[in-house]
Amino acid sequence: MVSTIQNTDVKQKDAARAAVVAVTSRAVFDCGVGGGDDVCGVGVAFPLLQALQRVNERLLEENPAESLLFDVVLITTSSQQQQQSSRISSSTRHYGLEVSRFCFSSEEDFIESLLTNGVQLFLTTDRNEATQASQSGVLSALLDQQIASCPPEQLRVMFCGDAIVQPDTGPTPASRQVAQSFSTQLGEMRQRFGVFNSPLSIVLVTSRGGRESCSGALQKLRSRGVSVDEAYCLAGAPQGPIVSLLRPHFLLSEGFRNLEE
Amino acid sequence: MTEINPNGWAPVENNGEEKDCAAAKAANKTRPPKPRYAVTIAVSSRTLFNMVAERKIYEEEGLEKYVAHQVEHENKPLKPGPAFPFVKALMNVNSRLRELYPDSKELFDIVLMTNNHAQVGVRLINSINYYDLTIERICATGGKSPTGYLKAYMTNLYLSKDSEKVIEAIKEGIAAATMFMQETDKENQLSDTQLRVAFDGDAVLFSDESEIIVKKHGLDTFFEHEKEFENKPLAQGPLKCFLESLGKLQRKFYAKNERMNCPIRTFLVTARSAASSGARVLKTLRSWGLEIDEALFLAGAPKGPLLQKIKPHIFFDDQMFHIDGAKELGTISAHVPYGIGQKYHKGKLIEQPAKKE
Repeated sequence: MVSTIQNTDVKQKDAARAAVVAVTSRAVFDCGVGGGDDVCGVGVAFPLLQALQRVNERLLEENPAESLLFDVVLITTSSQQQQQSSRISSSTRHYGLEVSRFCFSSEEDFIESLLTNGVQLFLTTDRNEATQASQSGVLSALLDQQIASCPPEQLRVMFCGDAIVQPDTGPTPASRQVAQSFSTQLGEMRQRFGVFNSPLSIVLVTSRGGRESCSGALQKLRSRGVSVDEAYCLAGAPQGPIVSLLRPHFLLSEGFRNLEE
Repeated sequence: MTEINPNGWAPVENNGEEKDCAAAKAANKTRPPKPRYAVTIAVSSRTLFNMVAERKIYEEEGLEKYVAHQVEHENKPLKPGPAFPFVKALMNVNSRLRELYPDSKELFDIVLMTNNHAQVGVRLINSINYYDLTIERICATGGKSPTGYLKAYMTNLYLSKDSEKVIEAIKEGIAAATMFMQETDKENQLSDTQLRVAFDGDAVLFSDESEIIVKKHGLDTFFEHEKEFENKPLAQGPLKCFLESLGKLQRKFYAKNERMNCPIRTFLVTARSAASSGARVLKTLRSWGLEIDEALFLAGAPKGPLLQKIKPHIFFDDQMFHIDGAKELGTISAHVPYGIGQKYHKGKLIEQPAKKE
């Protein structure tokens, strides 16, 4: 049974305009085996949440009436986590995280939760969960352990010109659609800031093709309203050394395989 | 002008990663060798292309206007910059290498390493296309320091117009130099069949240990010292490894009986004199197993006129005095900001400015 609870500490976002991002509680908190009301430790996605928050703060600084904001939902995806619901909410309040809603769901119904809550991007450290969500038409990205050391001051989103993270399912027209609309929203958010000192950085990596594929990807993204900040064309060079320097919070590759066509 | 024919390039070895044949075939046409096999030369956008006018917009009107200007003009190719002839010469060496060794991965790999914003990258790529340069690897870091990426590409030489970035690279053990456009209208006619690279000796190929002696104790002490330690190899300087990588490629031509027709030629242009201090330099090179094709000992004479005759695609020196002299007579020069020479100008110790807060 899913229960969706609003976080009354946080101002609710305009559902029509906000970019709804769901992150699994397991990625955000390390609840260990403690019980009662113990505050959970921070998980790998903690800096990611801080970065999302930072973007919202800066957006509101530019325009206090801004409605294009990140609407962050914390979701549980197993009955085990579901049982930790009070620790999860109290930890969220403890750290002052800007989470608007909690979805306490289990393995069986978390997909339903994502759909009913209009989630546009689902972030998880679990590959199976990401695959399931993708297959149900929800844009998903797998969070890497390395993101624990990503900067909280700037949200870094990486677009893969060709798939670095192999999606387990090929992009269907529907999933391409959701990917494009999310990236268009990101692009719009990015436009609120200048070239310099933006709290959101959009990074493009093309790993196999040469400069033409990089240029093509830059222009295609531009046509969708996404202005890339940093571009790296690897042309077959080993990805590890370069990507580890880029430190993205997450990679969007689903639906973008056509960037290099 | 040498035409680069994509169909003449060697197929990349099948390492099992390519499952899709069509993709593999497409990749083979453009893929440069992996960094660990190649001699990687990283050039900045302002060394590859002439961006003087654009730079002015950046300095006078700010970053936003600069990026907007570049985007607006992105279909207009940029003019060649100081590293352009060097890059063309590298491409020519690659063609010759591919003729002799069709399957080899030991080639020059030219990377565009710029901290320009990615949107400017479109104009840069369009310009690369216009001149048909073989540059497939690009980093447009949007303002971040390139040093980490230089290391990730195992860069053998980094050329930039920004001396701060060059200094940072040298500190990290990467051969690097700051390039200057020639000032004169009379363009030296450079060879299009042979890459010609000229190096100063002290504080470029070798450490600055001897230069320290000159600056602190004078020439006479220097001569005595060099004679005494003639047989003790000098320590290596920031560009020694680059010379070494050139030598490795040269030997590939020698192995195929192409010594007389080798498309790489190296020059040592040093203020040392053959009679007294020169021997140590030659012996040091020998001890390193390195060859230099021509060693020119000037015994303090100006380098400009000699370089005018040599016509190198690039000349490396640690002293701005020599760089200026070379530039005046049309030689493309690159300053290596290393060693004690940086603290002196025309023999006088520069007053150290107060540290910036």
